[in-house]
Amino acid sequence: MFTRFRSFAHAISRRRRVESDLADELQFHLDARVQDLISQGMAPEEARRRARLEFGATDRVREECREARGLRVIDTIVRNTRFALRLLRRDPVFTTTAVATLALCIGANTAVFSLVDAVLLRPLPYPDPARLAQVVVTYARNGESTVQSALTGAVWEAVRDRAAGLDAAAISESTPEVNLFADGHALSVRQQRVGSGFFRVLGVPPFMGREFTADEDRQGGPPVAVLSHAVWLSQVGGDRTIVGRTIHLRGEPYTVVGVMPPDFRTGWLADVWTPLRPTTTGEGGGSNYSVIARLRPGITEPEADAQLQRIGTDVIRGVDGPNAASGRLQQISLQRGMTEEVRQPLLLLWGAVALVLIIGCANIAGLQLARSSVRAREIGTRVAIGAGRGAVVGQLLTESVVLAVLGAAAGIVVGWLVMAALMPALVTTFGLWQPAGLSVRLLGVSIVVAGATGVAFGLWPALTATRTDLRSAFAEAGHRGVAGRAHPWPRRLLIVIQMALGITLLVGAGLFVRTFLSLNTQPAGFDPTGVFTAHISLQDARYKTTEQVVRLFDESLFRIQSLSGVVAAGVMLTPPYERALNLGFMPTDGRTGNFTTNACYVTPGALRALRVSTLRGRSITEADRAATEHVVVVNEAFVRRYYPQRDILGESMRLGGTARNVVGVVGDVPVKSGWGNYGPLAAVPTVYLPAAQMPDASISMIHTWFPPTWVVRTVGDGAPLLLGIQKAVGAADPLLPVTGFRSIDDVRADSLALQRLRAELFGGLALLALVLTFTGLAGLIAHGVAQRSHEIGIRLALGARASRIVGRTVGQGMLLAAVGALAGVGLALAGARLVERLIWGVRPGDPLTYVVAVVGLLCVAAVASLVPALAIARVDPARTLRSE
Amino acid sequence: MGSGADLLPGTLDLLILKAVSLAPLHGYGILLRIQQLSRAMLQIEQGSLYPALYRLEHRGLISPEWGVSDNNRRAKYYRLTAAGRNQLRREAEEWRRLNDAVEYVLGATPQEV
Repeated sequence: MFTRFRSFAHAISRRRRVESDLADELQFHLDARVQDLISQGMAPEEARRRARLEFGATDRVREECREARGLRVIDTIVRNTRFALRLLRRDPVFTTTAVATLALCIGANTAVFSLVDAVLLRPLPYPDPARLAQVVVTYARNGESTVQSALTGAVWEAVRDRAAGLDAAAISESTPEVNLFADGHALSVRQQRVGSGFFRVLGVPPFMGREFTADEDRQGGPPVAVLSHAVWLSQVGGDRTIVGRTIHLRGEPYTVVGVMPPDFRTGWLADVWTPLRPTTTGEGGGSNYSVIARLRPGITEPEADAQLQRIGTDVIRGVDGPNAASGRLQQISLQRGMTEEVRQPLLLLWGAVALVLIIGCANIAGLQLARSSVRAREIGTRVAIGAGRGAVVGQLLTESVVLAVLGAAAGIVVGWLVMAALMPALVTTFGLWQPAGLSVRLLGVSIVVAGATGVAFGLWPALTATRTDLRSAFAEAGHRGVAGRAHPWPRRLLIVIQMALGITLLVGAGLFVRTFLSLNTQPAGFDPTGVFTAHISLQDARYKTTEQVVRLFDESLFRIQSLSGVVAAGVMLTPPYERALNLGFMPTDGRTGNFTTNACYVTPGALRALRVSTLRGRSITEADRAATEHVVVVNEAFVRRYYPQRDILGESMRLGGTARNVVGVVGDVPVKSGWGNYGPLAAVPTVYLPAAQMPDASISMIHTWFPPTWVVRTVGDGAPLLLGIQKAVGAADPLLPVTGFRSIDDVRADSLALQRLRAELFGGLALLALVLTFTGLAGLIAHGVAQRSHEIGIRLALGARASRIVGRTVGQGMLLAAVGALAGVGLALAGARLVERLIWGVRPGDPLTYVVAVVGLLCVAAVASLVPALAIARVDPARTLRSE
Repeated sequence: MGSGADLLPGTLDLLILKAVSLAPLHGYGILLRIQQLSRAMLQIEQGSLYPALYRLEHRGLISPEWGVSDNNRRAKYYRLTAAGRNQLRREAEEWRRLNDAVEYVLGATPQEV
């Protein structure tokens, strides 16, 4: 067996050498025979003739020798491939169309698959990832279950103490823009607070040192930190003595106890970890923790779920959710927990590119069908002179595979380019934290897609083509007076399918575009012209009290207001278009229940700088100091939701433990809601509080979540303003870096990045589908016209009007388009339910979107039918008659 | 080359193996050697010799090497491999048994039946 393989391998690898050796050997034989015959007395000429005669056909001998070495299959493939390449070169329009179609379709699929692979499919990069879980509360509502992964301190303690089957750890979100000082260098890092056991649960021990102990992870425990490998390298130069030394985070000393390995990554993007120190009050009283866990050995998922359910529903009462009574504590896989938000949009995108691939394949199948009917004569001839059906099918299949391979190669390049171009947007919008690239797995999937496409669109035309019997092959090729009886139905069906899928994609894209537009053009509620914002992180030991914070605000604002071009300036906790603080409140009018609102502290200048209109009462003013009456200003959305048909002025409420009187109502400003069912950017109930009246405890806690925002209205440019702000803040406190300097329009654009990307991605795919459908239909019509040009010539000669023939041809195309569009509308209506939760400001059945999609596609179909049909006008009846 | 006895199917491989077992030979040499050893009674069709040689080489029974012929030309010589020697022994025994059996049948007289 092995020698055979070696001989075979040898024959392939040194093919040319083996061929020439074979020729030499046979030549030697003939020459020797000729010599012998001459020496027997035969004339040289006669001897040569005789030798050749005795030997027989050298070609056949060579063929048999090759076959003896197992080379025939290879020969056939090589020959078929050469033939296919020659044919493809001779028909550049077909080849370019087919390869470009495949390249775009496979490219889009490659790019999207690499994203799906990196986000959803690839196991988490930790040991035994299948045992990793996240503890969540699921709510069933209207047959749909929603997952709430942000939990309270009470839930965490219950899980820790009562679910023995889970090795669990509580964690908090990571906080960006934390100031780190070590070895005399300052750096803005992302800090995440994690409970003891976080690294043990993930299964990744520190590269140096140790992780947090339970003693460090409790209120009042010693301040310790674990560094990421990257920060360890960049900040302390990879100094191994760092463990046990002190660094400063937010101005407070922390002892480094460990450094993580270089390839340790999590979805929370952190550079420094500190102990969580969970509580059940304050931060822990709200839904601010996530709980991850590893199933202990021998514990199954149902057992773990049963343990969690025994904890009972009482403990989840404090968790944010639609209805505590319907909530269930359970565990889901950590991967699912981490990808819950992006799973559906991503799968939807995958579905959309799959549709594009189907449309593309339909195109190529159509092209092949057209081609094989043109080639029916050639194939008929080959069958007539004795080529077997298998050989012809093999030849046609080879052509398809060659095309598919060319398409796949180009597609991988296209996919790579698309990926590279979209990467920055994808990283933020799809939470991509594992490297996505051209993995072996990805390559495999691309090749399978291309191969399946090749066989799918190669085999069918091949089978129809060889079914032709000779007489009809010659007759149908159309060199008789009338056109042959073509087989247009398969192609027409393909066009209808393309149209239907095209409509579906167009409608999907339309809904996303409308969503983006409606969010992007909603009333701002303030005047955005010339407004800039900047953050300054106040997670700093020197800003623990409201008095310290307000002094910084006052001093820096005083200097900023004197800058040239500055009209007004102020500080607010969170700017328009961004996520705000959620706060529970209690009206003092006797109502009971859960009341949630956005809350934002402001300096008096902030709402003035934004030019938010005061509708009733007054806004926050300089007179609202710490010692004066505690007041609150609410927005219209707040009134609409909580005080409809009632004069809210003069009402009071308890907010964060303090009673406040409502003194004014201001206009709505859109923000990211994060709670309720308001959509990505909306007018959410909001209360504005004077910064000076914030309690000390809450201001320092809030500043661990949000860096306050300076808002400045200027009539000048942005760049000198940034310098001015930096100087003004520097004069008040030289140790505070200014970050995130943006115009308010950029803030809005960043907040809508996901919706914009979605509109662009789906829009791009719909455009691609449109182009493919155009090509497919135009190809069908052009092919029909070319096939019937002889017949058309005769009709014209007999007096038919060209315009009528053109009209009928176009009508045929339009009929197909109309049937397809109708089917597509049905398909789109069914599919639109899938996007219901991703669209805002537009309904899934939005008539305008459907009308635009249908009209757009019909216009494309009209052009696609008309352009090739115009070739009819160029048919010259005289030439047709002469050629008869 | 005149006419001679036709080969039974399958015997060509055996004859080639035997011919090259005596000394390494090139293709034409094998033809001549078989003719000579069979006292010109066996005629091998020249066209079928080379496919048979390639088949045997592919099975690892003979191995080729390039050498120089009597008239100073480059020629491909075949020699028997160890596997080929075993194969020759087996096939020869097979052939003799078959031959004996046919002999018995042909030598039978009416009395023996």
